[in-house]
Amino acid sequence: MRITRCLTLWLLLCALMLALLGSAQAQQDDPGKPLLEALASASYAAKSDAIDAIVASGDSRSRAWLEALNDGKLQQNKQTGQFVVVLANRGRNWPVEDALSGEPLGEMSRRELDRIGINNALRGQLRSTLAVLDLYVDNPDARLQAANDLLGQVDAGMVAPLEAVRDQEPSEAVQERLTEALAIYRLEQGDAQAIEALSGSLHPEARAALNGAAASDDPALAAQAKKALDGIEQTLKINRGFETLYFGLSLGSVLVLAAIGLAITFGVMGVINMAHGELIMLGAYTSWGMQQLLPGQPGLAVILSIPAGFLVAGLAGVAIERCVIQFLKGRPLETLLATFGVSLILQQLVRTLVSPLNRTVITPEWMSGSLVINDALSLTLNRLYVLGFALLVFAGLMLVMRRTRLGLEVRAVTQNRAMARSMGIRATRVDMLTFGLGAGVAGLAGVALAQLTNVGPNLGQSYIIDSFMVVVFGGVGNLWGTLVAGMSLGVINQVLEPWAGAVLAKIIVLVFIILFIQKRPRGLFPQKGRAAEG
Amino acid sequence: MSLLDALADRDRVFDFLVPAASPVDVRHGPILYLEDVNVSFDGFKAINNLNLTINDGELRCIIGPNGAGKTTMMDIITGKTRPDSGQVWFGSRHNLLTKNEPEIASLGIGRKFQKPTVFEALSVFDNLELAMSADKRVLPTLTARLSGEQRSRIDEVLETIGLEALCGRQAGILSHGQKQWLEIGMLLMQRPRLLLVDEPVAGMTEQEMERTAELLTSLAGKQSVVVVEHDMGFVRSIARQVTVLHQGSVLAEGTMDQVSNDPKVIEVYLGAEEEA
Amino acid sequence: MSLSNTPSSSSPLSNLWLTRPFSERSTRIFLTVLALALAVVTVLHLALPAGHPLHVSSYTVTLLGKYLCYALLAVAVDLVWGYLGILSLGHGAFFALGGYAMGMYLMRQIGDRGVYGDPVLPDFMVFLNWDSLPWFWHGFDMAWFAFLMVMLAPGLLALLFGFLAFRSRVTGVYLSIITQALTFALMLAFFRNEMGFGGNNGLTDFRELLGFDLRSDATRLGLFLASGVALALGYVVCRGIVGSKLGRVCVASRDAEARVRFLGYRVERVQLCVFVVSAMLAGVAGSLYVPQVGIINPSEFSPLFSIEVVVWVALGGRGTLYGAVIGAILVNYAKTVFTGVMPDAWLFALGGLFVVVTVLLPKGIAGLMSRRRKADSETQLKEATP
Repeated sequence: MRITRCLTLWLLLCALMLALLGSAQAQQDDPGKPLLEALASASYAAKSDAIDAIVASGDSRSRAWLEALNDGKLQQNKQTGQFVVVLANRGRNWPVEDALSGEPLGEMSRRELDRIGINNALRGQLRSTLAVLDLYVDNPDARLQAANDLLGQVDAGMVAPLEAVRDQEPSEAVQERLTEALAIYRLEQGDAQAIEALSGSLHPEARAALNGAAASDDPALAAQAKKALDGIEQTLKINRGFETLYFGLSLGSVLVLAAIGLAITFGVMGVINMAHGELIMLGAYTSWGMQQLLPGQPGLAVILSIPAGFLVAGLAGVAIERCVIQFLKGRPLETLLATFGVSLILQQLVRTLVSPLNRTVITPEWMSGSLVINDALSLTLNRLYVLGFALLVFAGLMLVMRRTRLGLEVRAVTQNRAMARSMGIRATRVDMLTFGLGAGVAGLAGVALAQLTNVGPNLGQSYIIDSFMVVVFGGVGNLWGTLVAGMSLGVINQVLEPWAGAVLAKIIVLVFIILFIQKRPRGLFPQKGRAAEG
Repeated sequence: MSLLDALADRDRVFDFLVPAASPVDVRHGPILYLEDVNVSFDGFKAINNLNLTINDGELRCIIGPNGAGKTTMMDIITGKTRPDSGQVWFGSRHNLLTKNEPEIASLGIGRKFQKPTVFEALSVFDNLELAMSADKRVLPTLTARLSGEQRSRIDEVLETIGLEALCGRQAGILSHGQKQWLEIGMLLMQRPRLLLVDEPVAGMTEQEMERTAELLTSLAGKQSVVVVEHDMGFVRSIARQVTVLHQGSVLAEGTMDQVSNDPKVIEVYLGAEEEA
Repeated sequence: MSLSNTPSSSSPLSNLWLTRPFSERSTRIFLTVLALALAVVTVLHLALPAGHPLHVSSYTVTLLGKYLCYALLAVAVDLVWGYLGILSLGHGAFFALGGYAMGMYLMRQIGDRGVYGDPVLPDFMVFLNWDSLPWFWHGFDMAWFAFLMVMLAPGLLALLFGFLAFRSRVTGVYLSIITQALTFALMLAFFRNEMGFGGNNGLTDFRELLGFDLRSDATRLGLFLASGVALALGYVVCRGIVGSKLGRVCVASRDAEARVRFLGYRVERVQLCVFVVSAMLAGVAGSLYVPQVGIINPSEFSPLFSIEVVVWVALGGRGTLYGAVIGAILVNYAKTVFTGVMPDAWLFALGGLFVVVTVLLPKGIAGLMSRRRKADSETQLKEATP
């Protein structure tokens, strides 16, 4: 152990020293220096070659040099021959920095400097060179990004270099993009053969080019473009379908998370917990509080807030059970009222202790951004995480209910309280733990929600009715029902939304559930038998 | 006894109390007829090809171990549970499977539950008043007023069930046995053609049991009575015909003696009891 | 719970279900107290000069009128919850619908005196660039039609909703939850401008009712008295229902629904009828509330308001009717005081009230009052039963 640690340390030290040495070396004879010196030569033909040489060098400073050159800001000190980049050329003294090292050199008088001149031909060369410059970097993602930026931006001067770059490009994705970019240009020039290269593209620029072609005077070209467009439209529709499905499942996963704790307290124990939403809120505030405790480490905070949220909400749940619910056994409607009172108190407590204003929870880096499937479909990562989290929580809960002693006791107490007690199960303890479990899961939902929305005192309220709807829709006392109901309600909502608008979609879903309950009062997956008739 | 006769006689005196022109047609056979009835809950067959015939005026006892399907059978007859398949006829005219609970009740089928269910927040008197055969639609119920005859009828039933002194009390404070009696009283007020009585003597003293047996036997003849009971002594004291249910179908049928000597019955039910 | 257990003497008053309540002691006491309160407030308001310490200001009169509307709403909730066992968490919807019906009438009464001066269209429609009245706004310029809709609109909604719910035997907690969903859905709907009810801002800037200026003290006093009369009428109607045989069927189906069915009563129809009556009463309460507060907006549909009404009833004592009135007035008075003195504490107090009443006071204030009487009868009973 100790030896490996020493070795690691030593290696690190070595690497550091090497890096320092390397940078010192660079100062002495920078490979960029001859490149710039070639630029400063008198003839424009030589300058043109020098530009190509800079591009071919793959030097990371190439872009800065060429951009400065293009703007006339790459200059040489008349006395020292030092190359500088002018940061602002206004007034008499210009602030400059060293073109090689990038160090600021303070201000220099404009008279001390000599501009490296260019003509129109060079300017054209520079523009197209700059456009393809990023295609020379080593990072394939950066190259793809550069290729993406070229779509619709290609002009006549860039065709030749782009084609050359494309033929050398090792990454297929980048190649494809470049082909598309070239095809868009060619289509704009009226080349019907370019259509084929574009027919599979979902990029808006490609569609714009095809739309342009479809409106062209050449009927053959127009017809061909239209056909390609139809194909794209079809693919887009499928992609949009997937996107709706994804948003639906994402919303559904939130609903499932919010409802599943309720499915336990309501479904299994028969307790109407109107404070469930506030338990979710407590979970969300735990997530926020954890970030306040661990500033600068949002990732760690999120991971820690999962157990913390479970504990905080779970303990709150146990307290509610002990102080209120246990006295209202067998009086569901009274339980509903009492827990509603608890929810008001919790809300106001948060308003008083924290703030009535919304708080934002920072999303850690590995959870932000999105997973790009293609040009028309990208999945936001945080929603993907929440979806996975919901499924995990569901699976965990299933395990607890099916495979553990607690689950067995809970089911026993639900089915026949008196019998379970006579077999030595401490029913009151089971009640307490079950409620704590349901509440803890609500806390988990809050932790997840904090990643998607702002955390505020009203967070819970907006989910309580939805959660009840999910549980009732799925069939009380049935965890699978809750999962299916939550997911399908999420999807239904998202399908309706573009057509009816968000508010109307919600209303339609509510009315649908109200009607559904009339038809099947016991939900999608009802419990059958004499016991269920109650 | 004499009182009950008098009660029964009143049928003729107060015709309007009889359910309007009793529509049950029993000229061509039994008053209750179940054929090939099946019910299952989540794969569990609660009732399995059940066939049962009750004749008009008969007093029938139904026995069977727990889970034999006795209560489910009652649920089917009164419309609470719908069978998966089979036929249930009341007389030869009424297909009970097409009717809901209130309709079946107003046809003249009264039911006493296993667990006595009286309206605990209402007085004993009110309980009987609600059970009384009358126009039970909403508006007539709103404007209903008790006539002198109706009141004296309630008083008579109160006397029969021995609860005169508690007439104004809330039913909730009655003892278990008193609740049983009150529920029987409610059945009497309903004047059904067919009484379904689920465990009538549970929680009753010996004396009360005797009175119940007397009451039930006196009803038979004019009304048909189906009694589900666990107490063998009680069954023996009232039964003429006994049906044994087992696993949702009829295991044996006959007089008490026939049934109690049937080896199959001894095995599944009586035997078990004697061993215990 | 049932005050007329033994049928009373055959005095002419006990003949009809609607007049029977007048022969009951509790109703007489209630009506007398209510009449006295109305009279005292009126006298103190009119007879004493503004500076007098006992003078009841116009503001207070309106405030009291508001309480009376709430009390009527609470009576309506108690009718279904206390006697029928249906905990409606959506009665605010019926209240608000009645209020909107009245609000639409009041909007039409503004005529061309609005900001935009359109003779027909209310201001918000002009603002939204609508060129004609939506179909459902027609007729609301006539008082009789509007007053009819005050009861019909909530009644029809209750009829439709109740028909669907009770037919499929949705009861208990399920029913409570879907009534809550109902009012929530309506709230969302009324928030939409496209619905044609003024969206977020609702209906406001009313001027006159039946030609009386809503800002004048006399009209305010009149509305206060009208609320009192409406409360008295609503109370008598409810008392008539619960004192009748139908009321006993209600109580019976509250406690043992299946048993009532086996007696031959169509429980779902009983529930539907009583539910509709209750919704109409709530509508009337809303219609009197709106001209007194001068505005109706979708927040009246909020689930919080509906559930708050339930706690008024719970505090007063469910299943007594007069308890609902006591609870409504007490809680709202407390709310007025609290929100004036320390607004932050009000939600704590309300939340605590929910918990304390349900856990410690299941029968409410009315239960406290009748506890001693009950204890007496309990001992008598023990002696009577062998």
